[in-house]
Amino acid sequence: MLRVLALRLVAVIPVLLALAGIVFVLQQISPVDPARAIVGEKASREVVDRQREKMGLDDPLPVQYGRYVGHVVTGDLGTSAVTRRPVSTDLGTYVPATVELIVVAFVLAMLLGTLLGVVTASGWRGSGALRFVMIGGSSVPIFLASLLGVIVFYRNLGWLPATGRTGIRDTPDGPTGFLLLDGILNRRFDVTYDAWLHLVLPATCLTLGPAVAIGRVLRSSLQHTLRSDFVRTARSKGLGERAVVLRHALRNSIGPVLSMGGVQIAALFSGVILIEVIFAWPGVGLYTSQAINKGDFTTVAGVTLMLGCLYVIANLVVDLLQAVADPRIRA
Amino acid sequence: MAVAEPFIAPAPLLGRFRERARSAFAGTPAGGWVAFGAVGLILLVTMLAPVLVPYEPTLPVGKPLTGPSGSNLLGTDEIGRDILSRVLMGMGSSWWGAMAVIASGLLIGGAIGLVAGAAGGFVDGLFMRFTDVFLAMPGAVLAIAVVAAMGPSYTNTLVAIGIVWWPLYARIMRGEVRRLRASPHIEAARLAGAGRIRLAVRHLLPGATPSMLVAASLDVSALVLSLAGLSFLGLGAPAPAPELGAMTARGVTYLFTAWWVPIMPATAVFLLALVANFGGDAIRDRLRDR
Repeated sequence: MLRVLALRLVAVIPVLLALAGIVFVLQQISPVDPARAIVGEKASREVVDRQREKMGLDDPLPVQYGRYVGHVVTGDLGTSAVTRRPVSTDLGTYVPATVELIVVAFVLAMLLGTLLGVVTASGWRGSGALRFVMIGGSSVPIFLASLLGVIVFYRNLGWLPATGRTGIRDTPDGPTGFLLLDGILNRRFDVTYDAWLHLVLPATCLTLGPAVAIGRVLRSSLQHTLRSDFVRTARSKGLGERAVVLRHALRNSIGPVLSMGGVQIAALFSGVILIEVIFAWPGVGLYTSQAINKGDFTTVAGVTLMLGCLYVIANLVVDLLQAVADPRIRA
Repeated sequence: MAVAEPFIAPAPLLGRFRERARSAFAGTPAGGWVAFGAVGLILLVTMLAPVLVPYEPTLPVGKPLTGPSGSNLLGTDEIGRDILSRVLMGMGSSWWGAMAVIASGLLIGGAIGLVAGAAGGFVDGLFMRFTDVFLAMPGAVLAIAVVAAMGPSYTNTLVAIGIVWWPLYARIMRGEVRRLRASPHIEAARLAGAGRIRLAVRHLLPGATPSMLVAASLDVSALVLSLAGLSFLGLGAPAPAPELGAMTARGVTYLFTAWWVPIMPATAVFLLALVANFGGDAIRDRLRDR
């Protein structure tokens, strides 16, 4: 197990270096001159040149890349043109909101996906229709689901809020930054409840696509397992269908589900940006979209690096989970 | 379920194409035909969109924010442009954009996978590690960074998605090629003196094509959704161009007062993705058991 962990950790390093490399190249391609962006549009040629020299923009590219990686490793991602603060400070503010949303959506996706997969694979009544619903569900653009959700549950029914993370002003500041947890830790259950209400709509809209994808994978994996010999043995010794599916077949079908879960994390990362824009969720996505509208590439670069790292870590966790679930992978 | 294949006598040369075309579609279930029909309809509508549109899509043609009516079937937007005309044009750029990205992904990924799988050894290791590095990064986030760096435009969006949309195809192609290399007909070709390149292009590539096509057809809907998402974030073609994602984003303001402004283009994205999904499933069912 430790060997698996060590191998996976080593494999992460070239990925992160390549990611930094890509972001660095993109900065070079970007038509915006970072020196001019700082000194302003009307600055004279000399001022710009002096700023370029100060920032080391005339050094050879490999030198600049080395310096860039050095900055990134020490947490210096530059200054955001949107907020005029260091990008890393901004990320510290916005990341918890985004992570909270992604984690809740991921758990929902796994639960809902498992339910969909088990129901369609064991052929309960109405599961044929459910297959069509699933294909339909994976075709819904995330913004359509969100807008319809807002119309129905916010405007028509008035059950759920449609903007922001919380309606409470004096929310506790810590210790985790996740409102669901902070409410419990500070015994402010009203905060947790309110945060949960605000989470329901965005998390559900975010989870739809991944849940269907996981459900479809589990369905085919379960169907495959249900044809195997040990399932026949379990049935012939008189076990009920529920015990066969839930106790015997499910665990042996979970491998592809975990890999699909890993793939779907990428979908959550891109989806969360759209969701945050629609629901005015004060996280990294909203921050990115403001940066995009201002043409502020420093911020976009910082967010890309940060989301890339989060994504790599998430996949590492999924890999390890797979090794736990299936001893054959540990070799 | 295994059905005994009837023996088909080798067809004469002229009838061969027809025979092939017939056998390619033989046994397609009714649902499959509906899916293929819907894909055909989308192809037709998107190709004929410039002729079909009732009004000029970028100019105001009526009162702003009027609901769906006889003269404007899907209503008008905030400056009085005909939404139907804009949606039709937008469907074209979404659909054919997705096609272009698929084609570039198949070319880049296919070439890398083919070279890696056919060459084996050091080249294989190098190419596949390169692919793995790309697979390990969040593609959509990277695509956002690429467009943000190059500046938003329709072409740049396609290039950005194209850059991140090939690693899976490289994996599939390489896997297929490795599998085929062990089969007797490749051995025979090698013994007959076929060179490396001839072996790769004439003998390995055709065998790997069905799997690639299945993967590609299942990807179309995901691509339509991704492109629409980038456009929604303001990373597509700039303002007056009719793009479905951007139209939805700009219409969100009117969600409660004039719902058709954001909902109509978003629904068009849904329809495209839905048809692509069913079409992809039908193609997979056709090609899977070969």
